Amino acid sequence: MIDWQPWAVQSASIIALVVIVTGLIQTGFYVVQLVYAGIALGRRPPIAHASILWRRYGEQAPPIAVLAPAFNEEVTIVESVRSLLALHYPDFEVIVINDGSRDGTLARLIEYFGLAPVDRYHDMSVKHQAIRGLYSSPRIPRLLVIDKENGGKSDALNAGINVARAPLFCSIDADSLLESDALLRAVRPFVEEPKLTIAAGGTIRIANGSDIEAGRVLQVKLPRNFVALVQIVEYLRAFLMARLALGQMQALTVISGAFGLFRRDRAMEVGGYSHGTVGEDMELVIKLHRHMRDQKQPYRVEFIPEPVCWTEAPDDLTILGRQRARWQRGALETFFRHKDMLFNPRYGRIGFVGFGHILVVDVLGPIIEVLGYLLVPLLWALGLLAVDYLLAFIAVTFTLGIFVSVATLILEEIQLRRFPKARDLVTLTAVAVLENFGYRQLSNLWRIRGWWQFLRKQQGWGAMTRRGFQTS
Amino acid sequence: MSVLFLLWLVSLGIAIAALLVMTGLIVARLLGGRRSAREGSQRRQLIPMLLGGQSQDDGQPAPKRLIADVSVELIQMVRGEDRDAFVENATRMGVPDQLRKRLDSGSARERVVAAEALAQFPDTASHDRLLAALDDRNPDVRLAAAMALAVAGRAPGVRVLIDRLSLGISENSLIMISLFGELARQRPLEIRELVLDDDVVDGVKAAAIEALSASGDYSLVPLVNRLALEAAQDSDALPRYLRALGEFAHPAGAEAVRANLASPTWWVRAVAAQSAGQIGIADTAGRLVGLLSDHHWWVRFRAAEALTKLGDAGHAHLREQAEYGEQRAREAAKLVLAERGMTA
Repeated sequence: MIDWQPWAVQSASIIALVVIVTGLIQTGFYVVQLVYAGIALGRRPPIAHASILWRRYGEQAPPIAVLAPAFNEEVTIVESVRSLLALHYPDFEVIVINDGSRDGTLARLIEYFGLAPVDRYHDMSVKHQAIRGLYSSPRIPRLLVIDKENGGKSDALNAGINVARAPLFCSIDADSLLESDALLRAVRPFVEEPKLTIAAGGTIRIANGSDIEAGRVLQVKLPRNFVALVQIVEYLRAFLMARLALGQMQALTVISGAFGLFRRDRAMEVGGYSHGTVGEDMELVIKLHRHMRDQKQPYRVEFIPEPVCWTEAPDDLTILGRQRARWQRGALETFFRHKDMLFNPRYGRIGFVGFGHILVVDVLGPIIEVLGYLLVPLLWALGLLAVDYLLAFIAVTFTLGIFVSVATLILEEIQLRRFPKARDLVTLTAVAVLENFGYRQLSNLWRIRGWWQFLRKQQGWGAMTRRGFQTS
Repeated sequence: MSVLFLLWLVSLGIAIAALLVMTGLIVARLLGGRRSAREGSQRRQLIPMLLGGQSQDDGQPAPKRLIADVSVELIQMVRGEDRDAFVENATRMGVPDQLRKRLDSGSARERVVAAEALAQFPDTASHDRLLAALDDRNPDVRLAAAMALAVAGRAPGVRVLIDRLSLGISENSLIMISLFGELARQRPLEIRELVLDDDVVDGVKAAAIEALSASGDYSLVPLVNRLALEAAQDSDALPRYLRALGEFAHPAGAEAVRANLASPTWWVRAVAAQSAGQIGIADTAGRLVGLLSDHHWWVRFRAAEALTKLGDAGHAHLREQAEYGEQRAREAAKLVLAERGMTA
């Protein structure tokens, strides 16, 4: 046994304590979020049938423009648009934005829906690439197609915002599968607090493994692939716990690009979606917070706990790794663009809770945790740390991780019960335990890669291969 | 024992506790699965029984809760005599009692559903219970009870509702317009009085006007016109008054609309332009042409739209602007004409 100098032992203890305290702060955040999420779920209005929602909100529900950006979606575009046109909502328009696709996306739309070029007087306040043409058909008055030069998702959404005339717009991903009553559910805060609500997000769930037909999830089933399974638990933590709780605290900083409802005038006031970032969804929400706080206007950004949208999760580690690195890069880009909001009293709970959460969980979290994996066991093995440090490190990374994941599952089972079989719950509980051994560490490495890409100012999305939904 | 070791023990304890709770929930789900299957089968038996207007008289009786749920679902799906027959049958099976009990539930969600469902039952006990629910601690339950009473034609006076629901103060839901709309269909004078009363808050007054604007009670137009003329330019109520004047489409609302075409607030100008078109105020054509060059798109669009509604004179103005107008006016005129299939 080496007899270490006191300064070496002290330094090792400090390193271990930094790792442990950071982990504890993160877990503390999660526990508070669990409490808030529980309160929010307890207070939410009843999950009613679509017909009851229609009766309750239909008369006063404001018109919505559903903005669906499409890039090289030739194979799936017709099915996606048909599913969007079948949404249950009193007054909505589907605006498909063909973002300079190089395949036959536009031709498929024109041919299938019998579209013809039309003129439409539209706003130009938000910047985007040139619009080449607008297409619609008198047979399908709810559908409008914008054909524009390629500029990326945020650019396509900006074109949609300009062309839309509804007071609210709903931004979705090309591969989002919306629940048929998603708009009726998501519009609730805009009906209940029409003056205050400026944006609302909804819970996104993973559709891998579920029975899907004509763009609808018919029966929720679990995937067999472990990579997809583990993301189900992750999404539960992200949406059912974190976003719901931050929404309840009025400190929500992200509304997923897969489904978000926004007041069009407010989005235009902040210049729409930003270019040059892969986290354009987070960036828009932060810009809205900043704008409203700067203007000293009361407002609310809400989160709907009921699932409104389903998405396809990558079931391959390479693709998932790219996605997670990109998400990390997006969070860092937004955080550093708006770093003056951190702990700034001018921005209230957004500065303290919202940005504090990003700082601990996204900015510092992965670096310190990975350092912990490397250093704490090593320093203990070298005799520089007592075993108590190692146990405390295991507590904050493994056992408390298991607690948070299982507690989220408990919340889901008590409040929502969206998984139909008891066997599903057994599987998810096992995944909630197992993900802490291997997957969590891998996920942190991907986030470190995102950090590296951010520091190197790497742009672009990387290849995202989608398999497409397996229809039943 | 060190703090770090204690942390380890605590983490272990709560992780194990969470796993135990989850195990309990899984067991409960397994047992509940059997109950759900049983209820599914009882539900399948209940539907034809309720459709046939029979009571349960043989086999294992279905839980009262299930009978209430299925009855309410069926009642909400039909109208007329069929509905009355369902209501009668459900009342005989004790559904209103069950729903009234649910209004005492600790869950606000349960209470909202019960309040909405009780609207279907005309008995005095249900009415009294809904009246009591107007004082519920949860605002959603209070609003649901008020809507239920209004739909059933048994709501108390609108002043009582305003007071007990804090309408226009803490409750600003757009459902308030639907509530006033229901009341206006049965007791229009009460809603009218709200509009006439200077002490009623702007939010309530605007909702009352919106509820009445579809009623075609033109005697209100001069009053709304006056309110719009007196409202502050930055008030939330002003665009709502102007919109209501447009809905009335009565020339008595022209004065306020004309005046607000020159509002410093863009959204007021936009609504005024829209209402000018809806009312068909021909003498605003010149000012609408001016608004085609407004710096805000919505004002330009509404002005162009309004001109299309002003007949030949409006069309002529648009054609002229499409040809010779300043760039913004030219674009607005040309595209709005094209949208409506009119050549520039």
